Amino acid sequence: MDTMNRRNFLKLTTAATAAAASFSAGTAFAKDAAHVVVIGGGVGGATFAKYMKMYSPETKVTIVEKNKEYQRPYGSSEVVVGRLDMKDITISYDALKNKHGVNFVFDTVTGVDYDTREVKTAGGTTLKYDRLLVSPGVSFDYSQIPGMDSPEAQSKIVHGWDAGDQLLTLQKQLEAVPVDGTVVLIPPPNPYRCPPGPYERSGLIAQWFINRGDKNAKVIILDPKNGFTVDVTMLQAWNRLYEFNLPESFKGYTAEERATFKKYDKPGKIQWIPAAEGGRVVKIDADNKTVECEAGVFKADMINLIPPLKAGKIALDMGLADKSGWCPVDQKTFESTIHPNVHVIGDACIAGQMPKSGYAANSQAKVAALQIKALLAGQEPIEPAYQNTCYALAGRDDYGMFVADFFRLKNGVITRDEFARYLPFNASDAQYRLSAVYLHAWMNSFTQDIFS
Amino acid sequence: MNYSLTGILGAALGLAFLSQTAVAETANDLAQSPRSAMLAQTCAGCHGTQGYLQNSAFMPLAGMPTTQFVTAMKSFANGSRPSTVMGPLAKAFSEDEIKAMAAYFAQFPKNEAQ
Repeated sequence: MDTMNRRNFLKLTTAATAAAASFSAGTAFAKDAAHVVVIGGGVGGATFAKYMKMYSPETKVTIVEKNKEYQRPYGSSEVVVGRLDMKDITISYDALKNKHGVNFVFDTVTGVDYDTREVKTAGGTTLKYDRLLVSPGVSFDYSQIPGMDSPEAQSKIVHGWDAGDQLLTLQKQLEAVPVDGTVVLIPPPNPYRCPPGPYERSGLIAQWFINRGDKNAKVIILDPKNGFTVDVTMLQAWNRLYEFNLPESFKGYTAEERATFKKYDKPGKIQWIPAAEGGRVVKIDADNKTVECEAGVFKADMINLIPPLKAGKIALDMGLADKSGWCPVDQKTFESTIHPNVHVIGDACIAGQMPKSGYAANSQAKVAALQIKALLAGQEPIEPAYQNTCYALAGRDDYGMFVADFFRLKNGVITRDEFARYLPFNASDAQYRLSAVYLHAWMNSFTQDIFS
Repeated sequence: MNYSLTGILGAALGLAFLSQTAVAETANDLAQSPRSAMLAQTCAGCHGTQGYLQNSAFMPLAGMPTTQFVTAMKSFANGSRPSTVMGPLAKAFSEDEIKAMAAYFAQFPKNEAQ
């Protein structure tokens, strides 16, 4: 799929339609053995397959996935700062196969025929489905950033936002930053995968500098936004830990809360320049490691750009995305509003107020499993319920925070219940410490909920 | 006249037996209902599939008595039990929803290896 553009994919799809039509094939599966094919073995696809088998053992479930092992993106910034190795974030599919009875085809999808309900792979496998579930993750769009639209630039400045070897590239680049050096980190515009992630990574890097005894090295965040998920907890922590000066333009605090912030004479180990203060990047010079934003030009020793995101490439190739670059779905069942019998979950789908996070993909997968079970039985889908919890570190390993939301379907849109979602401003030290404990425990229990 | 005591007792016992069966069936229906599974799945991302856990940071929910579950959720929601994540989350659920989740997790044996 990587080397194939969308036109080729659709051509292939058309060819497949013609070939299948000449066979006049009927539905290959008996009613008592429905087949659900899953494209993508990430958080969404793997959770779905496990829970589909749990809720409906009689249903046949097949995952098509190009990698034989999974590397988790959630929590993977800890690889950048050397707290984890790649093997710590690598997960086997064995339990899904052997314990839960999920079939795997380790291959690349090359075409889908929506009429005959067939998925074709590069290796020549054809899978007939009753329902297709696509959980394709994200792809990256460099076209809007002058200076970054070449493979050379993209090999020098990497995102590390989809696990893989880019994490090790970032780790090496960080180690090569000289004493008193500067890292420029550029978060993406909304919407994007893992909303607290770019800021957690900034904190992890600042803490890494402190741990190596570097007093003046710093992280400068050049942001196209004026706020982010967990900002009120994160910025308060940075003010306490990293001599962080709160930008004048930030509107997230009351006057009383703002008055508790320390003011430092010079910029600290983390600087955050939001859009309102000129943080929007206009040009990057990958060779000279300079970043030009509306506020001026910054010379960096290392640049970590997380570019704007779109739905995973296969979803774009399959024609499941709209002009926004994301996939519109019926938010009750996650069935595509473009192609019937096809469901899209996880980062790639448009899911109302749900963020693009691992927890959200996991929760959507379980909703989709219950709804597809009902649909396969000819029943009405039930009232859905969704949840998201994102944990993040301020940087130091024992200072944690979170966002926690419960969502309901209201007028067809996934809508969050309006309750407090962060730790309170005056939370206790124990609550920050416990949140960090829960973050680390969650990495394990969440991974087990998906893959064990 | 002598509708014997045993008859009355028997009828009373029968009624008691019937109502217990009815309660058990209702609890079972609630535990098995897709709506309960739908609500309970939202917990599993931290608390494990069907509430089974292999770490000690979170509370295992599999096999938890329903009264314990309901009491915990109510005390998280009203703030009488200090918390981090559970305070915000517990507020989201109605009393019936909490009972449905409690019934779902109570149906599983406590110590079964996942």
